[in-house]
Amino acid sequence: MIRVHCPDAAATRAVGRRLAGLLRPGDVVLLAGDLGAGKTVFAGGIGDGLGVEDPVVSPTFVLVRHYRGLMPMTHADIYRLGSSAELEDLDLPAESADGVLVVEWGDAASQAFADDHLMVRFAVHPDGTRTLEFTGTGSWTGRPLQEVAG
Amino acid sequence: MSGPIILGLETSCDETAIGVVRDGVVLSNVLSSQVDDHARFGGVVPEVAARAHVEAIRSLTHRALRDAGIHQLDVDAVAATRGPGLAGALMVGFSYGKAMAWALDRPFLGVDHMEGHLFAPTLEHPGFEPPAIVLLASGGHSQIVLTRAWGDYETVGATIDDAAGEAFDKVARFLGLGFPGGPAIDRASDGGDATSIDFPRALGDRPTDLSFSGLKTAVVTFVRRHHEAGDLPPLSDVAAAVQEAIVDVLVAKTMNAVEQTGVKVVAGGGGVLANRRLRQRLTEACAARGIRLFLPSPILCTDNGAMVAAAAAFRLERGETSPLDSEVDSSLRLGS
Repeated sequence: MIRVHCPDAAATRAVGRRLAGLLRPGDVVLLAGDLGAGKTVFAGGIGDGLGVEDPVVSPTFVLVRHYRGLMPMTHADIYRLGSSAELEDLDLPAESADGVLVVEWGDAASQAFADDHLMVRFAVHPDGTRTLEFTGTGSWTGRPLQEVAG
Repeated sequence: MSGPIILGLETSCDETAIGVVRDGVVLSNVLSSQVDDHARFGGVVPEVAARAHVEAIRSLTHRALRDAGIHQLDVDAVAATRGPGLAGALMVGFSYGKAMAWALDRPFLGVDHMEGHLFAPTLEHPGFEPPAIVLLASGGHSQIVLTRAWGDYETVGATIDDAAGEAFDKVARFLGLGFPGGPAIDRASDGGDATSIDFPRALGDRPTDLSFSGLKTAVVTFVRRHHEAGDLPPLSDVAAAVQEAIVDVLVAKTMNAVEQTGVKVVAGGGGVLANRRLRQRLTEACAARGIRLFLPSPILCTDNGAMVAAAAAFRLERGETSPLDSEVDSSLRLGS
């Protein structure tokens, strides 16, 4: 497990950007943390690193947004979904086949991607700084995750 | 001689909305709101939306024709929203529109949803003409558009994180106020003191771009801290202060765009423009600067079929139509 301390939003974004360098087609990155913890900022950093030119904005309202970069990036948010049946309706595995899938409130989807995913947990401290905690399963074993710390 | 009668179908999100327009006059404008279906989720769910569109669209089309006092054979062109929006939801109205155009042997037009919002003010304000700065704000979009002329648009500012409507939704959900968040916060703010809490106004360094993510975080932090300390102010104060922060940013950025471009006309569209406080503040800001303001009534701010027909009328007049094998584009960008 890797932990990275982020003093501000720019630092969170930079960690996302560095993570992009480790990503391969088919990867699933799950983001877990409270409202306002920095999940969308982090996803924006991944977008930067993947060369996505469009601004990566919140997917909460539309549930899923698609971006074109060095490889396709699908940015989903399952905050509002109430059951696993609704999650299946979204068919996220199909969305991620040839690109990177980033899922906010991804703890609810960890079952669906149990075999192979990177979980990023966001903790907000009283002083407003964040700690990001990275745990990988499957193909993430052996990848140089420490590089995200910069 | 009268212009063509255009039927407009709008199913990009959670409203099945159909309108009939002729010569810039709304002959009918009906909608089947799905808000109750989505309230449970605190927002729109694409599969739920698409199924509801399928159930509603046929009878709603008949109602729009009946309200307009016309037979379907009187329709001269059929238009439907092509994007942006939820792909599954868009497909319902788009396919229905193509089928209807084919059956009636009339031209079909796929319309950009955002261009529809840009045309909405013309339906009530015949004096509204570009060039204009237009604030478009809803759950899925927040942008400031310079309309140089009809068909010539430039997005001069946009949100870099949450849409304004999304900010209302998220904060309302966090405060336990229900969905949709805008009207819920509007109601909860009644009697509240908007100046009692100073929530942040973001992106002072980018005059026309918008950001609401920091506000959301500030509200969460504020409520948690004061809840723990046992001195949480009344909900009406929190709601009023949140609303004021969102409205402040929208008004300030719109006025920055006015100053940057030198344009003397402002208009608005999208569900957030139905917010009473925003309308009041825009009215004051424009009056203070001698700017003419054209706001559609709330029913034409939220998604509607009449605006789709209005934009289609402009395209049709230019001789543009869409082939029957054209497809929806869920991430359509204005001007592309």
